[in-house]
Amino acid sequence: MKKYSTRMVSAAIFSLLFVILIGCHKEDVQKLPQRNYQLTWSDEFDGMAGVSPDSTKWKFDIGNGGWGNAELEYYTNRAANASLDGNGNLAITARKESYSGSAFTSARIKTSGLFEQPYGRFEARIKTPWGPGIWPAFWLLGSNIDSIAWPQCGEIDIMELRGQKPNIISGTVHGPGYSGASGITKSFAFESNRFDVGFHLFAIEWGTDYIDFFVDGTLYQEITPNDVTGNWVFDQPFFMILNVAVGGNYVGFPTNQTPFPQSMLVDYVRVYREVN
Amino acid sequence: MKKIKSICPIAALITILLIGASCERKFDGLPLATYPTTPEVFVDGFSSGLYYAAYGTSKVTAFSVDYNIKYTGVASMKFEVPDTSDPNGSYAGGVFGTNPGRDLSGYNVLTFWAKASEPANIIEVGFGNDMGASKYQVTLTNLAVNSNWMQYYILIPNPSLLKEERGMFFYAAAPKNGRGYTFWIDDLKFEQLGTIAHATFGILNGNDSIKDNVETGDKYTITDMYATYNLPTGINQKVGLAVAYFTFTSSNPAVATVDVFGNVVIADSGWAVITAKLGDTDAEGSLTIHSKGQSVGPTDLPPTPTFAPDKVISLYSDAYTNVIVDTWNTHWLYSTAQNMEIQISGENVMRYWELNFVGIEFTSHPIDASAMSHFNIDIWTPNPTTEKTFKIKLVDFGENGMLGGDDDSEAEVVIASPPLATQQWISLSIPMSAFTGLLSRSHLAQLILSGDLPDVYMDNVYFSDNGAQPTEPTTAAPVPTFIAADVISVFSDHYTNLAGTDFYPDWGQTTVVSEVLIAGNNTLKYTGLNYQGIQLGANQNVSSMGYLHLDFWSVTSVSLSVFLISPGPVEKAYTLTVPTSGWASADIPLSFFSPVDLTDIIQFKFEGNGDIYIDNILFHK
Repeated sequence: MKKYSTRMVSAAIFSLLFVILIGCHKEDVQKLPQRNYQLTWSDEFDGMAGVSPDSTKWKFDIGNGGWGNAELEYYTNRAANASLDGNGNLAITARKESYSGSAFTSARIKTSGLFEQPYGRFEARIKTPWGPGIWPAFWLLGSNIDSIAWPQCGEIDIMELRGQKPNIISGTVHGPGYSGASGITKSFAFESNRFDVGFHLFAIEWGTDYIDFFVDGTLYQEITPNDVTGNWVFDQPFFMILNVAVGGNYVGFPTNQTPFPQSMLVDYVRVYREVN
Repeated sequence: MKKIKSICPIAALITILLIGASCERKFDGLPLATYPTTPEVFVDGFSSGLYYAAYGTSKVTAFSVDYNIKYTGVASMKFEVPDTSDPNGSYAGGVFGTNPGRDLSGYNVLTFWAKASEPANIIEVGFGNDMGASKYQVTLTNLAVNSNWMQYYILIPNPSLLKEERGMFFYAAAPKNGRGYTFWIDDLKFEQLGTIAHATFGILNGNDSIKDNVETGDKYTITDMYATYNLPTGINQKVGLAVAYFTFTSSNPAVATVDVFGNVVIADSGWAVITAKLGDTDAEGSLTIHSKGQSVGPTDLPPTPTFAPDKVISLYSDAYTNVIVDTWNTHWLYSTAQNMEIQISGENVMRYWELNFVGIEFTSHPIDASAMSHFNIDIWTPNPTTEKTFKIKLVDFGENGMLGGDDDSEAEVVIASPPLATQQWISLSIPMSAFTGLLSRSHLAQLILSGDLPDVYMDNVYFSDNGAQPTEPTTAAPVPTFIAADVISVFSDHYTNLAGTDFYPDWGQTTVVSEVLIAGNNTLKYTGLNYQGIQLGANQNVSSMGYLHLDFWSVTSVSLSVFLISPGPVEKAYTLTVPTSGWASADIPLSFFSPVDLTDIIQFKFEGNGDIYIDNILFHK
């Protein structure tokens, strides 16, 4: 999530081809590792429309600037930017409105200090927003970020999407020596579908020496200590973040053709620990 | 899964092709299509059955096949837009069609790549133009192209309708700043793309329009149908749609009907909302009808004017030869007024409706009314007139005869009720002196009607020279005939008046009050009336009286009302009809002035304009 330029074109093309290969053979069973998981935390986002996210599970980040990403929105804790939709989803909504000096508002919520876990399966069922300059994300940060700072704390981006490419998501890890544009990443693309027209399940399965990335149960990337170009820092508790950014270095500026408001709908977030 | 470090590009391409085949939908078991489902229109040449027909007035040679410049393959479509001055046609345009038609119901979008010799906007492209009814036409207007190949998408709003479509593609392109340019289109084909999403549909540009005060028989047409959809690039595209994609519904067909072409006809009084659907999707936009039913209008004519033609400048009358009026409805911004001429007993009457204000212009032939003394107009309204006004404004363009130039002047006269009345002809004859502020009337160019009456029938609009106008009465007010015992008199030479009345209390008015002798009779004169009070010497109980009587005379006033006042103050106005023809008398039932306390009358007040003579102000049984 915290990164500063686009990745190499060849890598992107490679990813696309790779994914198409998988996508067209969904009926073929991937040889996935068999792992047993037990639920340790979840939010199903059931409740009445307009209710703010459960404060025992989520905290708001409030302010503007996007923490180094040059984002354009002001993150608020208003129900207009983050609330249940009454249909079993959390809606994080980016709006075009003047607010505290920013031209857009949105929300960013995190489990920091409320729920943090090393390893396991982290998943969220999400329908993304769309439009140039819209940047939804479901990601993790190392819980020691306040003591050793980023990127030493580590970052795992389970799902990021550029609104001008609503059929492509990316999964990425950042750490010391491989952060920002040098993050270890891969994309998953639909050939003739989009992530904003239906819900999809985005997940990682994280062990001591691997992080596997999934879309709808399809493994599209495995990152191991051998793949990263620096220290492997994914060996301590991480917390989760859900947000919708507007603009910023990763996604570019919204245009006057970007439709607003734009909501990311989250059906649920669930976390599991591996058991034997 | 292990990350693969390299891959042979050719192998990858082959893989895609193989997968592409294996991923195609299988049509086994579906009924055979009656018409071919060929998706290609032009990829490297004309697809099966495709023909080209240039528009008749266009440059017919504008289209050709280009084997040098292409997006992919061996050829593209080249369109050479001519200069405006090209003798062979000043624009490029035509239709690509097939005969028989094709079944496009398995696709959701027409896609193509395009580039141009220079940045330009192609006026329109689309499909569904079959050179006939073009029932299912979809039009993308102002397509922005530049010198890079870019992909474009035109939505098929409801593919299930396109079982036999002949119109594969059409275009129209005009020169840019008078000069031609060239654009190319390639890989033009119908596709089924999951990357096109979030389609919405609408009528009336998405507006919820309201039509108030419509009448039985009025007609409207639903227009401005569109679809918006999100492109694979995340931005929205809007296209215009033919009416046949929509189904229309009236919430109340007894009030307004709507047919499949979006034609709305008002059938009766009441309320109805016209909405539309495209397939099962509700369309944005609606038309709300508030109908008052059958129109109410005059069945007879106003009195025929009696002035000699040489004493008249007529704008609108069958009794005279009319001067040239440029328009009876300028349709100025924010004016909702509509007008049409109707006939009553073979004579013309102008009808205005939805009248908020209407401009009437004779700027091409300004009127010199300097020799005229009165502006005349007959009006008839079906609307209630109580506490309503009708306003008449005259605008003089001054010496230069044109709007502006610091020599314009204008003035407006406000007509109240009475003389306004419902469902009867009212003949207004307004002295030109009442148009206070109209500095000249030798270059009159505009007449502006406004006020609170949305429905006005109008006839006999003319200036008249009524001859020399007396500036004051030549005779005394008529002598009242009430017996003295039945009278409480405030101002009259014929009765004993109440003592101590102050006829000039200072209430901040600008009116000049004087008492003049008219034929030896003391008469109250208000010069330049805005308002004027009368303070009685003592509170009066007039509850045993039946009427307030007064006589009044004015040739310059167009507004006059009299108030009776009890402590509070509690007051109520009665409108007197001015100007007068000679002395006019009013006997107003005191019950009219409720809730004024008739046992405790303290004051009178007059409001209005012009110069007024008043006499014999008294209460009588």
